[in-house]
This record gives sequence, structure tokens and C-alpha cells, in this order.
Amino acid sequence: MLSTIIPMKSHKKTKKVVGLNERNIKLIYPNNPKRYYPLADDKVLTKEILHQYDIPCAETYAVIEYNSDIKSAWEQCKTYDALAIKPVRGRGGGGIKILKKDTEGNWTSSGKIVTERQVFQHMAATIMGFYSLGSHDRVLIEECIEPDPFFDKIYPSGVPDFRIITLNQTPLMGMLRMPTDRSDGKANLHQNGVGIGIDMEKGTLTQVYDGTSYYNYHPDSKFVIKNLPIPYWEEIIKISVDTANAFPLNYLGVDIVIDKNKGPQIMEINVRPGLGIQLVNQQGLKETIEKTNHLREK
Amino acid sequence: MNSQTNLKIALILITAMALLSIAFKVKPVFDNYDTFNAQTAFKVNYNYFFKSEDQSTTVKTFIPKSNDRQRISKNKNVSDSTLYFEERALINGNKKAIWNTKKANTYHASNYEFIFEGKEKRYQIPVDFKKQPQVDEKYLMPSKNIQVEDDRISTLATQLAQGTQNDKERIKRLFDHVVSIPSAPIITLTDAVTTLEQNRASCNGKSRLFVALCRNLGYPARIKGGIILENINKRTSHVWAEVLMDTTWVPFDALNNHYAYIPSNYLEIYQGDEFLITHSSGIQFDYAYQIDALNHIPFLKLNSEEIRGLSSVSLWRLVEGNVIPQGALNLLLLLPVGGLLIAFLRNVVGVKTFGVFLPVLIAFSLLHTGFVSGLLLFIGLILLVGLVSYPFDKIGLLYTPKLVISLSIMVGIMILATMIGIRYNITWLTTLTFFPTIILTIAAERFSRATIEDGYKLALDKLFQTLLATTVCYGLLSWQALPSILIIFPECILLIIAMAMLLGRYIGIRWVEFYRFKPLLR
Repeated sequence: MLSTIIPMKSHKKTKKVVGLNERNIKLIYPNNPKRYYPLADDKVLTKEILHQYDIPCAETYAVIEYNSDIKSAWEQCKTYDALAIKPVRGRGGGGIKILKKDTEGNWTSSGKIVTERQVFQHMAATIMGFYSLGSHDRVLIEECIEPDPFFDKIYPSGVPDFRIITLNQTPLMGMLRMPTDRSDGKANLHQNGVGIGIDMEKGTLTQVYDGTSYYNYHPDSKFVIKNLPIPYWEEIIKISVDTANAFPLNYLGVDIVIDKNKGPQIMEINVRPGLGIQLVNQQGLKETIEKTNHLREK
Repeated sequence: MNSQTNLKIALILITAMALLSIAFKVKPVFDNYDTFNAQTAFKVNYNYFFKSEDQSTTVKTFIPKSNDRQRISKNKNVSDSTLYFEERALINGNKKAIWNTKKANTYHASNYEFIFEGKEKRYQIPVDFKKQPQVDEKYLMPSKNIQVEDDRISTLATQLAQGTQNDKERIKRLFDHVVSIPSAPIITLTDAVTTLEQNRASCNGKSRLFVALCRNLGYPARIKGGIILENINKRTSHVWAEVLMDTTWVPFDALNNHYAYIPSNYLEIYQGDEFLITHSSGIQFDYAYQIDALNHIPFLKLNSEEIRGLSSVSLWRLVEGNVIPQGALNLLLLLPVGGLLIAFLRNVVGVKTFGVFLPVLIAFSLLHTGFVSGLLLFIGLILLVGLVSYPFDKIGLLYTPKLVISLSIMVGIMILATMIGIRYNITWLTTLTFFPTIILTIAAERFSRATIEDGYKLALDKLFQTLLATTVCYGLLSWQALPSILIIFPECILLIIAMAMLLGRYIGIRWVEFYRFKPLLR
């Protein structure tokens, strides 16, 4: 009834694009029961389930729940050369710190030397819930992903990741998110990263979208990505389907990275995946869902 | 599917019931539609008590007439039978009530009552006034207490008029000067020169000085007398001034700083420098004005009982019972309407706001503070508190204690600003406390967090969208008939629920998404 509020002409055209209202009502509410949200929002819980199903993900070095445990956990972890410190219930990449040892054995983060004291402060702030909207949180220390050399030619710094949307355990749409000169190592679209569309059947990259225009190449390196085959594509699809099967959540955004040594790894899963992926692939989700259903019937 | 069908049936039933109930009232409401649309209504009683002397005793008073901004109705005289009563229209446009008795040495009570319905009126002042060929001389001439030609008046008038370009500027200068004279509760008559000399005056002194200054510069002006109506019994009447501009008499109240404006509760009774009451000399005399605010619906020609009789489904009894103060009742009724509007803006248009009901409550506060100054105050408060809490965000305090700090800062700023406002007589600063503090604090807190999480650009963008939603809300809430409509048609609340249910299942694309997904829609 209310659709009459919207001009009818454009209404027809929008049929294929899913907006926030429709995503919530048609995709999230019926497919993702609220009581299972913590499985996705809590990275430790997510990893526990992934381990149960032998789905590859970054190795956990330590989980810190109390301030008093910071020091002992750190003693354990400081033997590694690189690590990622994350808030267990963080949102949108806030509070993630990547630490690497330089040649002299100092810890560095984003190229700057950090003291142990600064690291402890960051962990204490995380535990106080500084990155997780007021609630008490935990610190997750895990292995640091080294991106596959495949990405170096496209854009050599930061950690690029894949986002695969699954509905009823079927991969619908995917994109590769890559950092740019303006995104400070972040691959997120909101933070000036670019999205690269994926041809799901062929497993190739299609086009780059930077929020305003489309290119055949990465805007900074000018490296042409059109029709570039994605390494480990079969495996990426397999672990996204496995992940979707492992969780009682039927509409998911699965985030995957490719590690230099270990291949595709699940980074995290998202119960409210964004809609920008439609723009990156220049395709409406509804159209994709229709096609997928069609294929299934065949 | 089953629950959906049930939902649909429930929705249709609710809507049908509400509409049916509304339909029953629509006709009588339209039949009694009142184009006058009064903002205030009062029942006024002149009560006079006197003891007659040996000779014939007379008490006279001016009584009001209807005009384009006040309506006088149901006027009647209730007095003891020994009094002879007469209403008389005078040539100068005033109207008098006269009580007379020949019966000596007796106590009398006379009473004149009427219903007043009034509207505020604001006047546009032309830059230069057209010269009127036939202006009554008396509006330019000096009188006993309005010493137009006195040297001191002339000097001041000339001095004030210096450097002005047009009539409008001159009038403004004169008015501002008289307003700036300190007010004093002087009951006795103060003439224009005395006001000037002692530089303190009440309404009558200030009005006379203003009239004298106007007349001195050749602008026809006169004294206007009446009562400021409030829901109390009082003995004070009020006078202000009027200046003839082209063909209109424009009101100026130099005591209460109403420039070319008359509030809705000003009862106009007479014009000219007269006394409201006159009586035979030497008699014992006392008086009081008994004033009662009346509950009324601006757009209905009905009195309280008639409105009650309109339908059993209305909130009129609540209004009559005075259980809830009118302001609180209005807020209560307007909240769902505003909420629905915000839901529409968020889910159909796609506007992002800090908090769901913040725009509604702010818009409601703006009704008290005035739109522009209120909006600026609101922005100022949010930015200020957001900035002040920024260092606390940086320290990394826990959420709730941080909120307490923000709240304390907010309260501190509000109190401080109000105190400064009172101290230096800055009216707009004193209106700060109208804002819903806690909600404002949460919004400021969200704003400061947004500056950290999304950058100040996105945070400002969201603040701007919040203001946009607030403005739209203000547009709706400032529609004065709205609370009255909801009082007569409380079924609207049911319709709001039905509409909210529809909105809740709305899966169409938000309007801002047309822009976001433009590359896909082409």
C-alpha cells in the first residue's frame, strides 16, 4: 500500500535491488534468529564452531578476559614475530591492532614502534569495552595473516579480503575488498577502499568500484584485473558453504582472506552484511536470488 | 502466512472502527466550523461594589467590542434591580456601560460579564507611510498628560529622529528608546514629561511618552486601554499605544516590548487617554476583574458542554477535568504523530538521526523557544557538549560514567546560560531549559562518538540530517489545530498504530537509496 508513495516509474526498475528495509524484513529477520547473533558477533564463539567443523581460520594465540591476565598472556605471545590483537566483540574493524617485530626486535604497528606498555593499555581499553559499545569485552590475539602474493601485483599493502554472501547455504554474490592509497591499509568500502566484483561461476574478477565509478584496473596501481582468475576459488566457495552449514544462520556475509602459506581462511562472519556489494557487482541481489533459484530447480 | 492474514484482518478492523467513529463526528464538526480560529478564550467579569450617596449615583466603564482579532460574545449585565443599566456607543468609537441609581445610601453590586476569544496579530510596518489627508486632529494635538509640544519632548524626538532614513526607522528608534526606560510599578498617573524626567514608568507613563514622541514627529498616535487576560482575578488594567500607518492603527506596547504586535490575550477595551472606570465622586467604591481561562477548540463554534456532547469518544473530559495540564496532554498526543513522521523519514526516506524520538522532542521544545534561535541553541549545545566530552572519549572511560559526565556538563551549561540570560536580560538564553536534557545528552554523546568512529564529516552529516528531521517535525507540530484535532478525534492514535504496522512491513527502497544505487538503477 505504501509503495504507492514512491514514484511508480522507478519502482519497476528497483525491483532487482534490495534496499535496507527489504534486507531486514525479507532476508535477515526470517533467516537469522536473534538468539544466534552472538555466534557471529563474538569472534571466539565463531572460531570455536569453525574449529569443530575443521574450517580453516587464523590460529588463536590467546584470549584475555581480565586485566590481570594481560601480562601472562603477553609472555606467551611475544615469541611470535607478528600478531593481530582484536576486540572479541568489536564492530567494523575498530580496535584491531597488527603488531610486527622489526629487525631489531621492537614491536611496530603501522610502521611505528610501540612499547609493551602501549600494547597493555590498548588491551585494557579493549577489555573495558571501549571498542564494543559499553559492554565488557575480551581480547583475541591471533596469528597475523600474510596476504597471498597474488594480491601484490594488484595493490601491494594492507590485507585484502573476500566477502561472500550466502543465502540458505548457497553463495549468492561475492566481492574482493582492497586497500588504496587513501584507505590507510583498510579494505573497507566506507574507508576509501575499493570493491572488486566477482564472476561467481568463473571465479574471476570483473570490475573495480571506488564508490563513484567503475574501472577495469586498480585505480592506484593501474593493474588490469578484468577476467583475472582468483586463486583457490574452488576452496573459497567450499569453505563459505561449509561455514554457512556450520551456523544456524541462513543469510550470512562470510569474510575470507588468503594466507601466503595456509591458503583461504575465514576471518569473521556477519549477520547483517551490507548492500554495497550490489553496487560493486552492478547487480541487484533479488536478480541473483531469482537466478540461483532457477538454477536449483534445473 | 497465517499470522500475516490475521495481522491484515486486525489492521483492517482497527482502521475501519477508527474511521467509522471519526465519520460520526465529521459532520457536526464541519457544521460548527469556526473561521475565527481563536487562540485563547476567557470569561471576563467586571465586578463593581459601591454605596450610593444622597444624590443620583452613577458608575461608568468602557466595555469591549469585537474586531478582527477579538470576539466578544454572551455579554450581559447582572446587577441588582434597583440599578438602571444602559449600554451606550460613543462617537469616538468606544462603548460604555452605565449604571445609575436614585436610591440613596444603599450598597450595590453590579456585574458585567462576557466571553473573550482572541488571536495574536503581527503587523508589517511600511517603510514610509502615506500621508492621510483627513486625520482627526486630536491624534496629533497635545493633551494634558501628553505634552506633545513640550521642549523636552521636542528635543528628545528630534534627537532620536536624527540620521533616520524613513518612517519605519523613526518609529523603531522612538519605540526602542521608550522600551529602554526602566519599568516601575507606579500605580498613579504618570504623564509624558514626568516619564521622561524621572526615567522610570509603568505602562501608562511609557505609552504617553511614546504617543507624545510620535505626535511630535507628526505621526497620528493614540492611547489604547484594556486588560491583559490571565487565569486569575486582578485589579490592574493595562494601556499601550497605537500609531496610524496608512489606514491601520498598529499596536505598540513599550512596557512588554511588543513591537507592532498584540498578543492573543490582550483584551482591547477603549481608545484615547481615558480612565477605564469613572464614578460619582465621594462614593465608596471597589472593583475586581474575575478572569477565567476557558477550554476551547479553536476551530469549533461550540462551548465546553456542546463539545462534550459531540461524541463520547473524545478526550474533552480530560481537558475539562484539568487532570493533565494542557501542555503535557498536547505533548502526549503529539508524540505518536511525531514518532510516525520520524519512522517515515527513517524507513521510507532514509534520513539518519541521532535517536528516534530526539527530533520530535526537540521540535516540541522549539515551539517554546522559537524556531531559529532554538535550532541554533540546539546545535550549539550538541557541539559544545560533544566537544567537551571529546577528551573523555580519548581517555577511554567506560560508557555509563562518561554519559554521567556529559549529562553533568549539559546541565551545567544550561544553568550557566540561563543565569547569564537572566543577568544580562538575554531572553533567548533563558529558554535553554526547555530542552529535554537527558535525550540531548545522549544525542551529544552519540555525536562525539560518531566524530571518533566515523570522522567529523559523517558526524556533522548525521547532525544535519537530525536537524532536517527536526525541522520537518516542527512544521507538523507547529500546526496549532493538531492537538485539538487529536482531542476531538482520539481514534487517530489507532490509525497511527495501523500506519506504523504498514510502515513496519514496508520493503520498498528508501528514497536515499535511489541515490545510493543510482549506478544500478540506470
